[in-house]
Amino acid sequence: MSGLVIDLLAQTSAQAQAATYGSAERGRKGFFTDTTLCIGCKACEVACKEWNELPQDGYRFTGMSYDNTGELSGSTWRHVAFVEQMDERNRWLMESDVCKHCTHAGCLDVCPTGAIVRSEFGTVVIQDDVCNGCGYCVVACPFGVISERVDEVSPQLGETRGRGTMGKCTLCYDRLKAGDEPACAKACPTASIQYGDVEELRERAKSRVETVRGHFPDARLYLADGNDGIGGGGSMFLLLDRPDVYGLPPNPFVATERLPEMWRAAALAAVAIVGAVLVASVKS
Amino acid sequence: MTGYYGRPIVKPPEWTALIPAYFWAGGLAGTCATLALAARARKRHGLARTLVLGAAAGCAASALCLIGDLKKPQRFANMLRVFKPTSPMSVGTYIFSAFGAASTAAAISEITGVARPAGRVAETVAGAIGPFMSVYTSVLLGDTVMPAWHYGRKALPLLFAATSASTAGAVGLCFAPAEERGLARRLALIGSIAVRVALERLHRELGDVQGEPYRRGLAGALARLAAGYNIAGALLIARNSEATARGGGVFLLAGGLAERFAVFHAGKQSAKDPKYVIAAQSYER
Repeated sequence: MSGLVIDLLAQTSAQAQAATYGSAERGRKGFFTDTTLCIGCKACEVACKEWNELPQDGYRFTGMSYDNTGELSGSTWRHVAFVEQMDERNRWLMESDVCKHCTHAGCLDVCPTGAIVRSEFGTVVIQDDVCNGCGYCVVACPFGVISERVDEVSPQLGETRGRGTMGKCTLCYDRLKAGDEPACAKACPTASIQYGDVEELRERAKSRVETVRGHFPDARLYLADGNDGIGGGGSMFLLLDRPDVYGLPPNPFVATERLPEMWRAAALAAVAIVGAVLVASVKS
Repeated sequence: MTGYYGRPIVKPPEWTALIPAYFWAGGLAGTCATLALAARARKRHGLARTLVLGAAAGCAASALCLIGDLKKPQRFANMLRVFKPTSPMSVGTYIFSAFGAASTAAAISEITGVARPAGRVAETVAGAIGPFMSVYTSVLLGDTVMPAWHYGRKALPLLFAATSASTAGAVGLCFAPAEERGLARRLALIGSIAVRVALERLHRELGDVQGEPYRRGLAGALARLAAGYNIAGALLIARNSEATARGGGVFLLAGGLAERFAVFHAGKQSAKDPKYVIAAQSYER
């Protein structure tokens, strides 16, 4: 009985009507990041930080590669991964990573305040004036995209202070509102980052991977159709190796999809508590 | 090196130690309220009084921990502007609010003696919500992508229920009049045995690789500490002895707390090493 109700409730998320994302006149917007064209210049990282007034990452030296940014975070919404493969392939792989704007978004599902919303562009956006910093979205994101946003206190000293709210890519919601394209796509000098309608980008990605397969036998699309655990991404990628090589999850999933079985297990555990109390109260 | 220079794929929680404390206090409070109903039915009014007060105190402590962990505590009430069945934290907020109101009303009536019949109604409501109050936080953990939590999602509720039972019983052992402790002692014993059963299940569900974070590092140390406290507590209360009841209760309370911290840190550890995400997702689907 309760199982049925739970199933119905869970379907509000997992079966979300992806086809209806985006307003009628604008459609669902997204990115196609073609890593074969990326030259690792990080213009996207800089343009993103400038436009969104995000603080610098400081003079950190990771010592692992030409990547000193390290990861996406509440204050770094584009991150260029730099993979050195000094084996027989002898190559550098570069990939500009970003929020995936999932069709079934774990962060949006679990946000208890309604701060995270699906915008009229079909994107996933955190409302900074609603978020109370509970941090649930951080652990619900299968891509490790979200963390607390920090503000720069003193640019000279590189001092920062937590803002108290969570941050991630908004797909430049404000620029889209004005009919412009996101700052990273605008700044990208090689068209590795392409912005547009998700449907059209998916087609473009499909034909592009066919074109490059001759040169790159391991070329593959990532999140470019609906057949993955998140129902496809608003951001999709053409990769030249396995996803985990770039720090991406091989088979991302939205945990909410499995919520019914968790509530069922919890209901059984609750019954067990009642049972234990009854057993304990039997007169010995 | 695994993945991208061994860097995490998913982000570990930014939560502080207040979060496992919130699990512990809330879990204890929930089962205290349910046990209070049994005590009332068996006319153990001294024990019932202890448990009703324990439920309210545990709930208040739990709320303070939860709100204290928010990065913008002044925006706590934003959790009440929506109801989202897809978010265990949202569902939990309403379970918590209802339980908090009922258990606090019951406790105030118990202390002041005002509106006793209404107080008993509140007590009953709190006792009915209690078991859900004790277990919803396990769903909150399961509904994440932290491998140690998500891949143990069906066993975690039982573990949370078991520690809630052992710690609620311990509250009765520590604070109730000696002649009325029997009920609490038996629940504490059942709970401490159930903890072993639940852990067994958890590790079976997780398997060898995903169970590793629970055995290693800080989480492993905490899990061993919890097991030690739990066994010591159970042994001390196994015989119905006046002398050891309080001591046993204290051990069980500490054991329950350590267990919640062990689960918390296992989740953190499983996020920090990308191998758990990669291993799970390579054979899954």
